[in-house]
Amino acid sequence: MTNAIVWTVAILTVLGLLLAMVLYLVASKFRVEEDPRIDEVEKVMPGANCGGCGFAGCRAFAQNCVETGNLEKNFCPVGGNATMEKVAAILGIEAVAKAPSVAVVRCNGSCANRPQTNEYDGLRSCRVKAALYSGDTGCAFGCLGCGDCVAACSFGAISMDPETGLPVVDQELCTGCGSCAAACPKKVIEIRPKGPRNMRVFVSCLNRDKGPAAKKACSAACIGCGICAKTCTHGAITVENNIAYIDPAKCKLCRECEALCPTGAIHSVNFPKPLDKEAVKARVAERNRKAREAAAAAAAEAKAAAEAVPSAAAPAPAASTTEKKEE
Amino acid sequence: MKTFRIGGVHPHDSKISRNCATEVLPLPQTVYISMAQHLGAPAVPCVAVGDKVKAGQIIAEPAPRALSAYVHSSVSGTVKSIAPRKDISGNSMTHIEIAVEGDEWAEGIDLTPELVTAIPSDRAETLRKIQMGGVVGLGGATFPAHIKLNPPAGSKAECLILNGAECEPFLTSDNRIMIERSREIVVGAAIMQMVLGGCPCRIGIEENKPEAIAAMRSAVRELAYPDIEVVVLKKKYPQGGEKQLINAVMGREVGSGQLPISAGAVVQNVATSLAVYEAVQKSKPLVTNTMTITGDCLPVERQHNYLFRIGIPLSWIAEYAGGVPEGAAKIVSGGPMMGKAISNLDACTVKGTSSLLYLSAKTTKRVDSSACIRCGRCAQACPMGLEPFLLNKLTINKMLDELEANAVQDCISCGSCQFSCPAGIPLLDNINMSKGQVLGIIRARAAAARAAAEAAKANQK
Amino acid sequence: MNKLLVSPSPHIHTKASTRSLMLDVVIAMLPATVVSVLFYGWAELLLLAVSVVSCVALEYLVTKFLLRRPSTVGDLSAVVTGILLALNVPPACPWWVILIGAVFAIGVTKLTFGGIGQNLFNPAIAGRVFLLVSFPAYMTDWTVTNGFIHATDAISGPTLLGAYAEGGVEAIEGVNYLHTLFLNIGGSAGEISAIALLAGFVYLLARKVIRPHITLSIWFTVAAISLIFWLANPAKYPDPIFALLSGGVLLGSIFMATDYVTSPMSDKGGIIFGVGIGVLTVLIRYCGAYPEGVSFAILIMNSVVPLINKFCHQKKYGRK
Repeated sequence: MTNAIVWTVAILTVLGLLLAMVLYLVASKFRVEEDPRIDEVEKVMPGANCGGCGFAGCRAFAQNCVETGNLEKNFCPVGGNATMEKVAAILGIEAVAKAPSVAVVRCNGSCANRPQTNEYDGLRSCRVKAALYSGDTGCAFGCLGCGDCVAACSFGAISMDPETGLPVVDQELCTGCGSCAAACPKKVIEIRPKGPRNMRVFVSCLNRDKGPAAKKACSAACIGCGICAKTCTHGAITVENNIAYIDPAKCKLCRECEALCPTGAIHSVNFPKPLDKEAVKARVAERNRKAREAAAAAAAEAKAAAEAVPSAAAPAPAASTTEKKEE
Repeated sequence: MKTFRIGGVHPHDSKISRNCATEVLPLPQTVYISMAQHLGAPAVPCVAVGDKVKAGQIIAEPAPRALSAYVHSSVSGTVKSIAPRKDISGNSMTHIEIAVEGDEWAEGIDLTPELVTAIPSDRAETLRKIQMGGVVGLGGATFPAHIKLNPPAGSKAECLILNGAECEPFLTSDNRIMIERSREIVVGAAIMQMVLGGCPCRIGIEENKPEAIAAMRSAVRELAYPDIEVVVLKKKYPQGGEKQLINAVMGREVGSGQLPISAGAVVQNVATSLAVYEAVQKSKPLVTNTMTITGDCLPVERQHNYLFRIGIPLSWIAEYAGGVPEGAAKIVSGGPMMGKAISNLDACTVKGTSSLLYLSAKTTKRVDSSACIRCGRCAQACPMGLEPFLLNKLTINKMLDELEANAVQDCISCGSCQFSCPAGIPLLDNINMSKGQVLGIIRARAAAARAAAEAAKANQK
Repeated sequence: MNKLLVSPSPHIHTKASTRSLMLDVVIAMLPATVVSVLFYGWAELLLLAVSVVSCVALEYLVTKFLLRRPSTVGDLSAVVTGILLALNVPPACPWWVILIGAVFAIGVTKLTFGGIGQNLFNPAIAGRVFLLVSFPAYMTDWTVTNGFIHATDAISGPTLLGAYAEGGVEAIEGVNYLHTLFLNIGGSAGEISAIALLAGFVYLLARKVIRPHITLSIWFTVAAISLIFWLANPAKYPDPIFALLSGGVLLGSIFMATDYVTSPMSDKGGIIFGVGIGVLTVLIRYCGAYPEGVSFAILIMNSVVPLINKFCHQKKYGRK
């Protein structure tokens, strides 16, 4: 009996030792040499594996940071500058700061603004719907409302508003990783800088149809009239393909464009005070009037000068004056 | 009786309008001719606003250095505008708007009904005529015919297959032209035989069209061209699928990712054959085609087969045919299995238009999907031998590598799987989505490989 | 006019639904059910009622209150499980035993795996095997209950297989196969009439609810292997016809091995599955401790189905 126990223990011990040696040998033979800094960088990452950085996951991002040793093109939008500073400290290089971003839904085609023209009966997926046709409203550019962005968000920051049928971004939860923007087949979601104190102004429409067609499809559409671009004193607004765009880098948040937009396609968020449209309109009108008077005065002066010294250049300022008047 | 080997389904054929003789549709006051009536790049307009055009005159040329086709005016009149207009899916495309004035055809076009049976012998000239006639495949894909009829060097057509299967339920336009214009179709087939270098021709027709089979057989006998035969096929969807038809008629399979010509086959629809006949023998370009007005909620007496001109608004045709019927929940252009649901009835007819199909909610409204019970019916239905249940699951889990390994790229989107699913799962919706992604990956990989090969070659030099 | 519907193709759909398929299975089981009620009387009726009602109620309650999702009672799959379970126990079984069986079948085997389409094992078979292991006395109590029709010349007491297991080939000598084909009193309720089961099989085939591959390969394998045993030693082993007609081979091969969820999807896989069941059935019968092996065989093969599905694909068009 005791003999059996001794034998059992002995055999198991020898077996254990043998296997341990085998394991050790195999482990040392197949060991993969890896920069230990990859592990360190990965530890400071948010660990959401959202892919917002453009890599498959946090580890892939960490690996790329370490291998390139360069943070200019590697930025974790989720962790933001704080995380990137930690990464920079590990790698012993300078962090490249970036303004925090947020997802912005550039469509205001709610059920009320954008009447439904047909009923979609397929799989509830924006991708499938977009591949099939232009959508169940008259607008071929706006939100399709099937919530691919909601499914793409790793942070639970987007939800569909049942009343408007549009996605709503929770700016506290949104990390600006861009998964939603990539998932949207209509490219309705734009990743924009959060702006000073989270205040930002943007055109909430992407309808490239001509004014009347856009307006017919959606009462809140940008009709490409260009009033905003003319009003903007900072040169932040451009109108291309019948659609206005506000450059966040140039926008000074004066909200004049929002007040003047005839369809309400320009939105602003997080401003402490509500916009007094009438006051702004009056202010802009006053400024325009002064500008016109100044222009007229300048023109008159030029005309007087031209009359004093008749030359070939004379007709040009005259023409520009008439143009101004037509406006 | 022959049929394809793998899979297939048997939806009720519902050929209600089979006995409605083709009527000529009159002209509206204005037509809008789309620049995208073929597979490939949109054509480029070559007329200007205010120009007077005649029916059959070229109004748009193929996009340079791309797969494209000529587009002709279907009416005589004045070009009113060249502007974007929405197609049946609501997407914008350039259309040429022409106000109709009279019905004058361009010179050289033979409008007499007389049958021209002499087959030309100049292959290049005939191909040019087919190209200049703007002939595209009318079976659904609208692939430019002159390219398909001109196999690349090194491949040889061993059999021309005329597709008269018309396996889609409801559609009857091919049935009607095979009955009414069988001799012209057979001459078209003989022309294509000559172009392809004298290969045999088989005309595949499903058994549920006995009149068409009889008419085509008698036309073949009467005209007595060498080696043309009618092959009667068992009724099974999707018999008219190119790969399935090749399998049914020749017993061969086209390799995955290969073109039919790799199996020695060229498949053309019977309507395309008619268009080839008109383009070559009558110099008449492709500006007319036959369409069916049908549906399960349309009374029999209001069903029609129309010879229509391209560019007519569908809403105008619907009105002419007595309006959209009560109870129509969905209007489909094409058959109920692969056709496209129309979201914009103001869109206009194009070369490939084959029907206005009114379906009732009872027939077409999708059922709520429930859990997969793993019955395997989708896999038994798939004519490509795929496993749709698996592809569906892989798509939901976004496993693109596995999808490619399970041949999602071979899917022909025939809809047999989704049709047969007792749980009402939108299999094809998902599969189509992942197929697009996988095909994109395959193309990108091929492009990268080509670039690498070229770079290697450049290095060697 | 209402707004037009727009959806991707196809725009038409088969009339078959999960519910209609399950209803077909219920109809196919009717002949066997009716015959068993006629010959086993109120006791059998009570078992059927308890089994079906408890299966359906449990599925309803669990999906509604525990899983909190739309109830799947409407697809009738719980009814199928309930009837099958009742057909798989002896008619003399007490009603509370089958209640426990139903709870195990639906609650444990089906819903813990995620409900219809997700379960690895056939619920009815798992329920039966659970009862067989937990309540062997009740599950082998072959007392013939009083039926509405009295079968005077029936074999009462042990089943044919039981008799064979106890007494060898001599014990079953003189059994009239033709008689067994029509009426086989004793054994589980559903095994009462081979003809009734075959009628159900023909109905399922005609309605294209199932394909014959699995069932036929089970029959073929059981017959072939028992033939080998019989030829090797006819004094010890019964003949293949006996092997096919006795016990639950017919019931199992027609209604339980062909369950969509727990059988392979492809025809090739179905044949492998059927052959596996056939081999295991005969081996358990002749070499194992239990007289009957079909349930165990199906259960064991159920667990291999994912593997079979992984390796058995049908021929793809245009590919080797």
